[in-house]
Amino acid sequence: MSARRIRLLIWKEFTQLRRDPLLIRLLLVMPVLQLILFGYVVAVDIRNLATAVVDLDQTSTSRKLEAAFSGSGYFTITQTPATEDDLRPLLDRGTVKVALVIPEGTQDRLDRGETAPIGIIVDGSDSQISAVGSGYASQIIAQFNADRMTEQGVSVTAPGIDAQVRVMFNPTLDPVNTMIPGLIAAIMMISLMAIMSQAVVKERESGTLEQMFVTPIHATEYLIGKLTPYAALATAQMLLVAAGGLFWFRVPFNGNFWVVLVGLALFMLTCIGLGLLVSLVSRTRHQAQQAVMFIMIPTMVLSGFIFPIQSMPAIIQPLTNLIPLTWALEVLRGAFVKGSGFEALAVPMIVLAGFAVVIFGASIVATRRRIAE
Amino acid sequence: MSETPDRVPEEPRGTSGATSGPAPDTEPAISLRGLTKTFGDFTAVDGIDLDVPRGQIFGFLGPNGSGKTTTIRMLTGTLRPKAGQARVLGVDVVRHPDRVKRRIGYMSQKFALFEDMTVEENLRFYAGVYDLDPQVFAAQREYVLRMADLVGREDELTRNLSVGWRQRLALGAATIHEPELLFLDEPTSGVDPVARRQFWDLLYDLASRGVTLFVTTHYMDEAAHCNRLAFIYRGRIIADGSPAEIRADHMEQRIFDITTRYADAVLPQLENDPEIEEAYLSGASLHAVVSASSTLTDASLRQRLVAAGCPDTVVAEVDPSIEDVFVNLVARQR
Repeated sequence: MSARRIRLLIWKEFTQLRRDPLLIRLLLVMPVLQLILFGYVVAVDIRNLATAVVDLDQTSTSRKLEAAFSGSGYFTITQTPATEDDLRPLLDRGTVKVALVIPEGTQDRLDRGETAPIGIIVDGSDSQISAVGSGYASQIIAQFNADRMTEQGVSVTAPGIDAQVRVMFNPTLDPVNTMIPGLIAAIMMISLMAIMSQAVVKERESGTLEQMFVTPIHATEYLIGKLTPYAALATAQMLLVAAGGLFWFRVPFNGNFWVVLVGLALFMLTCIGLGLLVSLVSRTRHQAQQAVMFIMIPTMVLSGFIFPIQSMPAIIQPLTNLIPLTWALEVLRGAFVKGSGFEALAVPMIVLAGFAVVIFGASIVATRRRIAE
Repeated sequence: MSETPDRVPEEPRGTSGATSGPAPDTEPAISLRGLTKTFGDFTAVDGIDLDVPRGQIFGFLGPNGSGKTTTIRMLTGTLRPKAGQARVLGVDVVRHPDRVKRRIGYMSQKFALFEDMTVEENLRFYAGVYDLDPQVFAAQREYVLRMADLVGREDELTRNLSVGWRQRLALGAATIHEPELLFLDEPTSGVDPVARRQFWDLLYDLASRGVTLFVTTHYMDEAAHCNRLAFIYRGRIIADGSPAEIRADHMEQRIFDITTRYADAVLPQLENDPEIEEAYLSGASLHAVVSASSTLTDASLRQRLVAAGCPDTVVAEVDPSIEDVFVNLVARQR
């Protein structure tokens, strides 16, 4: 092993990268584009839900409740039909996604100390909106009750409007808060797997790999020289996403920096291993691209990055455990959103370590053997 | 050519009984005994024995897939043989590939330059790989740029060079560390005849400075440029020696060169003639092989072809070329 030769190989790799301006632009644009896609496009729908209010009570309480909804930022009251019958067409046409019905006598009931039922109707045709919308609504009502009670000096056990749902950890239910930690891991996986495997296969295609192994360069030196630049690039991309998330989207970070670092390091080894395995089975860059797609599509669909695992069919759910990204997401989201430490994340950490040992280890052994062939 | 600093200790050779110290240069550049390589059921190289003297251009000939590249890869220490012994520059390359790598060079038909790096960067990379000291590198860089006719084009990307320049630069990169032994695997394939000619001049130049060259090719005309030749066919060496020896030892037949406009008609005619052992295209003409005892002459063969309806046919008896020898050797193997 010669540190000088490793430095030379790293210099060579960066020189070659510099000559590919399209790739460099892609490497920078991709994280920014994904930040925008996952940060804004996914987030916008859930805010400012078009809401109809049917206020049959017309009291100060009902108006206060309306104000609580419109003031929350999640609901924008766009329609105020006079009767419940007028609601149906609005929901059918999709003019509103949520409707709030305050029956006549709500204030009277509350004043009498009774439970006052109100109606919240959510358009269930979009499962995400319905889940999130009803969640927000329940929260607003809970808050409303609490405020009312403190105002009146009533004990908490006194009846009020019935609300049972609590959303923990991510009180605003802002999807950006779970999306961005996930994006950090996903970006790393794409970068290391797709771009590094291309670089290795290109070297084999052009014959420079063969040439280098006639020289005193050792397989280990070659591997370190190859992996370091791409690991550095992936790290830069992750920092870009993390900075965008923390400072632009104001994703709260409640966790332990070391948890994130260890989790990402373990996942990085897995990604490097997958990239090397892809380059081992591919003779051409085109094949490598196909192989990366073959891994990326199930990863994106099954890891819970976009679709929640809980909403998948029961038969599919165990499969998600085989996807390394699933566990990386658990660590990152746990650390970002819940502030979980090593103890709470022991299981995903151990699984990630297992993947790292098996996939990275196998790829290094196989690559060395292949090179020696 | 300045002296290559030889940091690599020579392997002690206990059996020779000679005093220790650097191995004498009298040992062949390459010495193979029973070298064998299999891939699964396929035997790519089948127990070859070969001695390549130092300071010569050694041609390693054979059709595609006959085991040339596999042999080179074993000799350069990148592929482990299944059996047999391979000594390169006096070192057992199977056991100590690292002791040999610094002293050999390798250039393949792919001209493995980094295409997205400049001429200068390519040279700097390979100089760095061999840890050349700056003064040696400066001198070698100068030499390679002049040799490859690339002075003033140091900052060009190698992908923009045309094939002849790329080939010479690849040779320069492969010899920047002044190897004692240079392996060239089909170095001229895909290169135009003028560039091929120029390239061979460079090889002669290297040989004149004492470098041993081990060249594979399937261009038979290039075989004549070599001091010694070996033919490999289906993993076995079927002939070796100097071009003259090979012609003398393996070609007792006579050869007729036939120039005709009707090659399509003449070739089957020749193949069906019982007196003719072998007929094939050779360059722009046809060659017909007859046994040494045959009574056929230029005139009588021409007569036959004209009679068969192919006028304007010119027949001349010629000395067998290396290609003729090879075609016959291969025919005999079948």
